[in-house]
Amino acid sequence: MRPRSLLLLGAGFTVWAVAFVALYAMLSVGCRFGWHEVALDMAGGLSLQRLQLIAIFLVHLAAGAAVVVVLRLWKDRGFLYPLAYFAAIAALGASVFSFAGVFFLSTCQ
Amino acid sequence: MFRFGAILAGGLVLSACDGPLSALQPEGPAARGIGTLWWIMLVAGTAIFLAVAAVLVLAFVRPAWLRRFGGTRLILWGGLVVPLVVLAGLVTAAFALGERVLVVRQDEALRIEAMARRWSWHFRYPGGHETVDLLHLPAGRDVDIVLTSEDVIHGFWVPRLGGKLDAIPGHTNIIRLRADRPGTYGGVCAEYCGIGHAPMRFSVEAHEPEAFARAVGLPPDEAGGMAADGEGGR
Repeated sequence: MRPRSLLLLGAGFTVWAVAFVALYAMLSVGCRFGWHEVALDMAGGLSLQRLQLIAIFLVHLAAGAAVVVVLRLWKDRGFLYPLAYFAAIAALGASVFSFAGVFFLSTCQ
Repeated sequence: MFRFGAILAGGLVLSACDGPLSALQPEGPAARGIGTLWWIMLVAGTAIFLAVAAVLVLAFVRPAWLRRFGGTRLILWGGLVVPLVVLAGLVTAAFALGERVLVVRQDEALRIEAMARRWSWHFRYPGGHETVDLLHLPAGRDVDIVLTSEDVIHGFWVPRLGGKLDAIPGHTNIIRLRADRPGTYGGVCAEYCGIGHAPMRFSVEAHEPEAFARAVGLPPDEAGGMAADGEGGR
């Protein structure tokens, strides 16, 4: 077993964790700077706050999907690889489940 | 002897559900919502625990039954489908409740400023009257508590009226409370803030409108019409 395969087990959920920290941090930064009160006409009236949160969400979703694609290609390399692949799928599902709120939840007071 | 001990232990545990700080005795809409979510989670958690315990017992007592059900199917249902359904329900309930507790897109309400400092709470009312470690509220009305801190992060929590919110230096947070009826409720600091954290408590007294106006030094006729002239920015 090469050490890399062990690290790959956590690859999907590392992307999830980075998304969590990024969304949490930028939510607070946006509220502090009043981005929720900046409506963007070119984005159909969406606030700058919601737009940046959605952008962070989508970037991480793409990164999570890329991890899934790569691990799918490596699936047959050894015992831990398919496990890492399924863990990455679970992480992608968890991202949608826990972060989709950026589309509809209130962001600031 | 065992029965006596069980009754004593049960009584001790249940007695913790009572008192001025009991979130299980809500006296306002926000606290009631949180209480409801707590009961839903308790029931769901108990059901999950019993189901897992039942499967575990079956594995010892009737392993053939589990074998007939199939290992893959057990993992699929027990490990994926059932937890997902339960979690989705709880998350939906929590999101809906969170939207109601947050003060957004709601009508204006009476505003009271709360300043936390080590280790006391200072409340300021629309007329300029101030109290320390004692918060007066009008019963049956929405009140926005505008929270901030002078030194470190504190946590404002009146368990019988609503959720917790941090009081942060250089920043204002707003929590909306409503006491359904007159009474005295307990409040605590819910964020560790130093050696005086544990005794950093305050009382909340909810009054009838006239009594509230008297308590905070307002003319009685102003008590009904001061909804929007509170101080402190959002």
